[in-house]
Amino acid sequence: MRVAVVMLGAKSVLIYRSDVFIGVIGLALRVVLVYLVWRALYDTETSVSGVSLNDAVGYAILGAIFNVTFQPWHFSSLMSRVYDGNVVFDLIRPVGLLTLSLGQQLGATLAGFPRALIGIAVGLTIQAVPPPAGVVTTLAFVVSSLLGMAVALLCNLLVSLTAFWTTEIYGAIMVYHMAAAFCSGALIPLWFMPDALGAVLRYLPFSAQVFTPLSIYFDPSPGPHTLAAIGVQVAWVVLLAYLSRLVWKRALRRVVINGG
Amino acid sequence: MIIAENLVKEFSRPARSTGPFGGIRSLFTTRRVVTRAVDGVSLTVEAGEMVGYIGPNGAGKSTTIKMLTGVLVPTSGRIEVNGLVPWRHRQANARTIGAVFGQRTQLWQDLPLRDSFELIAKLYGMERPHYRSRLARFTELLDLGSFIDTPVRSLSLGQRMRGDLVAAMLYEPPLLYLDEPTVGLDVVAKARIRDFISFLNAETGTTVLLTTHDIADVERLCHRVVVIDGGSVVYDGDLEALRQRHLPYRELTVTVQLPFPEWDVPGIQLVDTAVHDGQATISVRYDPLRISTPEAISRITAQLSVVDLTVQEPDLEQVIHQIYTAR
Repeated sequence: MRVAVVMLGAKSVLIYRSDVFIGVIGLALRVVLVYLVWRALYDTETSVSGVSLNDAVGYAILGAIFNVTFQPWHFSSLMSRVYDGNVVFDLIRPVGLLTLSLGQQLGATLAGFPRALIGIAVGLTIQAVPPPAGVVTTLAFVVSSLLGMAVALLCNLLVSLTAFWTTEIYGAIMVYHMAAAFCSGALIPLWFMPDALGAVLRYLPFSAQVFTPLSIYFDPSPGPHTLAAIGVQVAWVVLLAYLSRLVWKRALRRVVINGG
Repeated sequence: MIIAENLVKEFSRPARSTGPFGGIRSLFTTRRVVTRAVDGVSLTVEAGEMVGYIGPNGAGKSTTIKMLTGVLVPTSGRIEVNGLVPWRHRQANARTIGAVFGQRTQLWQDLPLRDSFELIAKLYGMERPHYRSRLARFTELLDLGSFIDTPVRSLSLGQRMRGDLVAAMLYEPPLLYLDEPTVGLDVVAKARIRDFISFLNAETGTTVLLTTHDIADVERLCHRVVVIDGGSVVYDGDLEALRQRHLPYRELTVTVQLPFPEWDVPGIQLVDTAVHDGQATISVRYDPLRISTPEAISRITAQLSVVDLTVQEPDLEQVIHQIYTAR
């Protein structure tokens, strides 16, 4: 029954075929642009902050793919459901609202997977993305990416839950969206950030969404620190899941006491 | 099936300041205004009953329904539905109720209607064959065939409402809450929805609590009516008795040839006379408890040469209006 919610979430995205199509073109365009920009930036340098041009371009491409897949504009239908009041039906389902919302979000995200996988495959084929260092790296990258998705889903869920307090939050959502893209390292790798900023960003859940899996991908020698990075992601998932429950409890209290 | 005792629901909202900088002051105020939307409603509904729950806008109808469905927690009072306290056992309660909120929808807007049904069947753990046969039945009864594969977003209001009704009843809940299920619908669509509701009640004994502004919904479906105003129940009982209490008279309109003799029909009062085109239209009234309608007609026709005669249906709308304005 949970699978059904996920499937419906995916279907809700895929039914807008022109939107999916435009999404693919948008991503392709972005990949070409970041490629050109990073080439120009490196100019004659072979390495900046210890990162080679090839890695920087590869990172930028994967970053763009992660960004559109994990951090979509419409990340949850919950906000509009609160806004138009249809959320009352979520409260009288035999399944909890968090399950319903997360299922819908997961479905919508999974619907973006084919596009992401094609993007990665094309990147690897034209050698714009360097191949992963080995089996261990690949495995760690996949695990870390899935955890990154979980962190992204939970962060987005938390933000959509704020709709129970404020009905008009589209401005705040835009800021959140941009902040998430920047802080997660999807636009610019955290390697290039000033030390202080980079250090702060590593302590935010955003870096666990994109930067952690990507830095594992480009790490030439995986080791205990790889496991540690994945451990931090797991910790984020647990913490954010707990936080979501807490926020939802407060939201529910607010709804049942004071109406919609 | 439903037991509600002394239900009270208060809402508290930040106070709005008026006057200079009122808007800004409202942002910082800690004063709160408490409004009592439901004020001591007691209500018992037996299994298989269809009860009309009516009242003017803001009377507290929707708030009551939201408490009964478990969406809202009452400020005080006791509720038990199918042996459960709805807000405490929200998810268990959800399995035993269906709900239609006319102004809202439980259907997934982006997807074909059928997808919503599929998901609901799975959420409520319906067996496939059971789901299929029930959907086939409903599709036939409500004539969904032509639009079941259309995205909900593109449905007309009447079609969407039929979809919402099916969604609410698919998993066969014994209790159905209908909050304005016919709002904004045309006559044909209304009739179709009413027929479906009365079918559900007749076939499986579904208990129905119906709020509406269309008195015809209540007249067509409910024997019992509960009238609420200002958060309290002002009438609970038989629809017919309500009519009798507030409309002690029946009216007849009689068209007669001129000239007609001085009005002197025992037991029947003359209310109004209008003369036109060599005829007179006379409105008279009588107490139906003392004279039956056939008796009244025969008394009139015995004395006058009647061209035409119509019995005025006692207008429930008018009764309700009287109750609302009397307070």
